Amino acid sequence: MIDPDADLVRSAGAGDAQAASALVRRHLPRMVALGRRMLNDAAEAEDVAQEVFLRVWREAPRWKPGAAKFETWMHRVALNLCYDRLRRRREKSDPDAGLYVADGAASAGDAWLARQRVAKVGAALAQLPERQRSAIELVHFQELTNIAAAETLEISVEALESLLARGRRALKAALADVAQDLIGDADGVPRV
Amino acid sequence: MDRQRFDYLLEAYGADFARWPDGEREAAAAFAAAHAAELTEVLQAARALDAALGTRRVEAPTPDLLSARILAAHKRQRGAGLDWRAAAALAACAVFGVALGYGGGLLAPVADDGDYFASAFETPFADYDGDEG
Repeated sequence: MIDPDADLVRSAGAGDAQAASALVRRHLPRMVALGRRMLNDAAEAEDVAQEVFLRVWREAPRWKPGAAKFETWMHRVALNLCYDRLRRRREKSDPDAGLYVADGAASAGDAWLARQRVAKVGAALAQLPERQRSAIELVHFQELTNIAAAETLEISVEALESLLARGRRALKAALADVAQDLIGDADGVPRV
Repeated sequence: MDRQRFDYLLEAYGADFARWPDGEREAAAAFAAAHAAELTEVLQAARALDAALGTRRVEAPTPDLLSARILAAHKRQRGAGLDWRAAAALAACAVFGVALGYGGGLLAPVADDGDYFASAFETPFADYDGDEG
């Protein structure tokens, strides 16, 4: 198993500032994005991402490639930190909190509609059991392979697929109208 | 690849074959092409859900301050490692210095107490001009 991060982790563990900087550039945006989707809170997502890297710096001097890819280990740490925070609080009433809608050119009406959709999808994701949500996060958003995602969650590929399928079924039911709108947009069919 | 397997993987991974398992991607694409008409509905439903999920892609820039905080933590950790080594070197120097001082003291010539006493008062008394009024 080739770990593309192994050299950087080893060097960062030995005190190499450039290696540390390269790891941050490569992984920090994904860690922040994961935290935002899991927690619906920008500030908490940054806290989680920072905590992930503090653990990386702590563990890097002892890092031994082979047991698990660095990326897998990192995602596992991030998800566990999110689980801890989710357990400590109820989901915020506004699942859209902290989200950035990258649509600066849209009209006010379109922007409002886009925010509504994002909020609705966020709320539907938040309703999923943690493991289903994590499986979707890893495969759909983080774009890990099924094997890497299963390793991250410490389950078999079949169990991962079961989590994904159940999660997607629940989302499909909860988001039927949003999905229909988006298909309508893509087809050029006007929305009602 | 048969319809049952296709539906199973579609339910799990969605309509984008790039997310499907490495070993099944090509077979899935071929199956979809061969059965396009009968798969239209299920693929469209899966694509719709993928698109809905796509709205949650967070494209917020990572704050520079956060990167700076994280890299400062790395520097501190590295500094702590250096401090440990520096402390060990300092301790070694201290031990060497004490040993050298102790050994040097033993080797240095020892003058009589009387000589020390005389030399201690020699200069002040020599400078004193004896003017007492």
